[in-house]
Amino acid sequence: MSNRTLGIMMGAVALLIVAVAVVFVLVLSGGDGDDDSGTAQPAREASERDDDTDSARETGGDDDDRDRAVSGSGICSENRLVTFGDDPATVFDPIQVGDASTAEYTAEIFGGLVTLDLDLNVVPDIAERWEITDNGRVYTFFLRDDVVFHNGRRVTADDFKYSIERAADPANFSPTVLDYLGDIVGVRDKFNGRTDEVSGVQVIDEYTLRIELDRPISYFLQQLTYTIAYVVDQEQIEQDPDGWTRQPNGTGPFRLKIFRPLEEIVLIPNDRYHLGPPRLDEVVFTLAGGSLSTRFQNDEIHIAIVPAVELAGVLSGESELAEFYRPAPQLAFFYLGMNVNEPPFDDPLVRQAFALAIDREAINEVLFFDAAIVADGIVPPTLPGYSEAITSYRYDPDRAAELLAQSRYANDMPRIILTFSGGGGDPPDNLQAYQQQWREALGVEVEIEAIEWSAYLRELRRGELQMYSTGWIADYPDPENFVGKLFASESRLNHSGYANDRVDALLDEAATLQDQEARYRLYHEAEQIIIDDAPIIPTFWTVGHYLVRECVQNWVDPGTIVPKYRYIEIDTSGE
Amino acid sequence: MSQGLAGYIIRRLLWTVPVIVAISILVFLLLRLGPLDPVESILGQRYTEEGADRLREKYGYDRPVHIQYLKYVQNLFQGDLGVSTRHQNFTVAEVVIPKIRVSAGMGVMAMVLVFGLGVPAGVFAALRRGTFLDPLTIGFWLLIDSVPVLISAIWAQWLFALQFGWVDLTYGGVFHPNIILPVFVMSLPGVAGVARLMRASVIQVSTEDYVRTARSKGLREQTVVVSHVVRNALLPMITVIGLALPGIFAGALFTELLFGIPGIAREALQAVLAPDFDVVLGLVLFGSILFVFANILVDVAYGFIDPRIRLSAARGS
Repeated sequence: MSNRTLGIMMGAVALLIVAVAVVFVLVLSGGDGDDDSGTAQPAREASERDDDTDSARETGGDDDDRDRAVSGSGICSENRLVTFGDDPATVFDPIQVGDASTAEYTAEIFGGLVTLDLDLNVVPDIAERWEITDNGRVYTFFLRDDVVFHNGRRVTADDFKYSIERAADPANFSPTVLDYLGDIVGVRDKFNGRTDEVSGVQVIDEYTLRIELDRPISYFLQQLTYTIAYVVDQEQIEQDPDGWTRQPNGTGPFRLKIFRPLEEIVLIPNDRYHLGPPRLDEVVFTLAGGSLSTRFQNDEIHIAIVPAVELAGVLSGESELAEFYRPAPQLAFFYLGMNVNEPPFDDPLVRQAFALAIDREAINEVLFFDAAIVADGIVPPTLPGYSEAITSYRYDPDRAAELLAQSRYANDMPRIILTFSGGGGDPPDNLQAYQQQWREALGVEVEIEAIEWSAYLRELRRGELQMYSTGWIADYPDPENFVGKLFASESRLNHSGYANDRVDALLDEAATLQDQEARYRLYHEAEQIIIDDAPIIPTFWTVGHYLVRECVQNWVDPGTIVPKYRYIEIDTSGE
Repeated sequence: MSQGLAGYIIRRLLWTVPVIVAISILVFLLLRLGPLDPVESILGQRYTEEGADRLREKYGYDRPVHIQYLKYVQNLFQGDLGVSTRHQNFTVAEVVIPKIRVSAGMGVMAMVLVFGLGVPAGVFAALRRGTFLDPLTIGFWLLIDSVPVLISAIWAQWLFALQFGWVDLTYGGVFHPNIILPVFVMSLPGVAGVARLMRASVIQVSTEDYVRTARSKGLREQTVVVSHVVRNALLPMITVIGLALPGIFAGALFTELLFGIPGIAREALQAVLAPDFDVVLGLVLFGSILFVFANILVDVAYGFIDPRIRLSAARGS
């Protein structure tokens, strides 16, 4: 090393130290804001940008232009949406998708017989119309004759038969086929290797498809909106069985332009989309990068999630992000489950006492800044079939103590463990709040235990948990997905062991009824019985907290997998 | 290279085999015999016995543990690290290699930055010993060192992206200019250590006889410092490079999380939580091999630079 290089290196260090010091000084003086003397030029600029002072407004013209050049219009100058997403957990193959993020991309690239609109109603996609016969056991779909795959090949009924049989093929190990298509005659048998053909799916002619079910289920159309039922291109898959998912040939509103794992997914419009082509020129999902809200503030991204630390400020309007805030109720229901076959929760009085003893309103206010919705029922408010009339046990500590005193376990309370899925550290705040409220109202000490996710799922499934905190997010937008899946005595998702003959009868009747309003009424009745019996304590329906730039038009978050980007448009007029 | 050194290296390399095998067996057993179950995670609330059986068959979890291990080793020799369950239908290599590339790229840049800042700072402090500049330089870097990445990352994002608008936080790959900020943040805590070591090393070398000889020969002070003091003082720094290598992979977790960088540390965390058996195992093996080889490399490099060490290693064998 020569003298010279050494000297340069020393100089660089000194320079760096000085630079960092200067930066700190500038930032600190800039943060003070009210510096009228304007000694340091950069500090004055920073204070003008932060505070809407008179002097800043006088020179407004220049400053506005500069601000827009730095941040304002940059991201709103093109008809190109930049949003965020998770790295897909699996390949873009509709039958492999089980997670919400991959489903979101897949729903934009592919399509099926039916789809959901933004209000979560089932609407035609490739099937123009359908007939339901034989008491709801047979569905006949009449396909549009103008639907093509992205490569231009026309979609026919044969493609659907191929796609459903492919989903049921045991060699393809689909994790979702039984859940969504398991009621089609032959799907279960094919999945278990007992037959090769799915006899319940019949091609009547080029544009007519008949699907026969084992039993009538009135939410079958809702199930068909999930990715597992999307149509795939047999020719492409057979030509390139391993690589086709990198350039998937679907029928959806968008085509996959770029997929750089860990970096970004770029979708471009399918101009021949049969339901009307998308309005955007491009959708970019960034899969990595720094804090969403910082990137949002830095004008790198159109949509972000409100960070937990900012939530209070955003909701109260104090944060500068407040003007971009867009709440979106989720199709998610959170609850505390109690094992009705195990002491002390085998006594309904104890369960009711536990429900009456917690003050969800107070917890909502203190912990969630009133931004969650106290669950008065099971079916979330934005789901078709929701009823306002359903009521849950409201906070009443005196009544709670009374009921507990009348119960079998009044003087002999066994050990109670509330389990949740999580790592180390303190339990979530809301669980600690329940714990404290039970202690105060009932004098009962509930222990809280965290276990690892896969072990939690296993114990939950086996009904081994005495009391547990969990939630349910809609697979398809129908009350059956909540009331039936979680509380039918035979349902494998009924983790509390609850069994009520009247509820089962109502659910069975509702499952076969075609008249939607009459169906919903049956679910409402069942819902109220369940809540009164209290095998669970409904706690909250959650709300998504988003930040959305003003230039993004027609943005909605329906809370479940709905092809929604084709409605969005960027207002590039700069208003 | 002397016979002794070659033998020494070969023996060291041979020793790594049982170490790696032991680690792999231990981790394999810890994963399989614990309460973790990837199939349970994949299916979640969609779990059915028949669906789970099919997946267990697909991933080979239906077989006895020792068979699973032997199968794993057999595949390993064919270059197959297994399949991921968190990223279904991706192999471990497909999941892990791009992330190793990201972390390695960042690691190298961070290392360069750590030494680029730390070595001159150390030399500067040593040469200004006795003046206020010595404690000021070292103290400054110690102050920086004591700020956790968890804090400095958030500060740096706020300062350089929001206040100055110099950088964007969108991730664009390892060779995109946006990587500068996370690399900078990641390097900061390492500088103090290198600076202090370099300072101590320079001070120690300055008292050596050959430095005094050089001075007494009438060499210019700058020549003495550069060719006699600094060059020799750099020697102990090599060990730091070697030992810092695994540390950079391991210590990048917060940088990766806060800057949303798809590196190896974030993947490891997610793989453990998922759980994703083969990815965890693959990463542990990668880390172990890296550590063992970094150590050997340091020893060998040491020998090349300092003949005295080569000699003693040879004599030792």
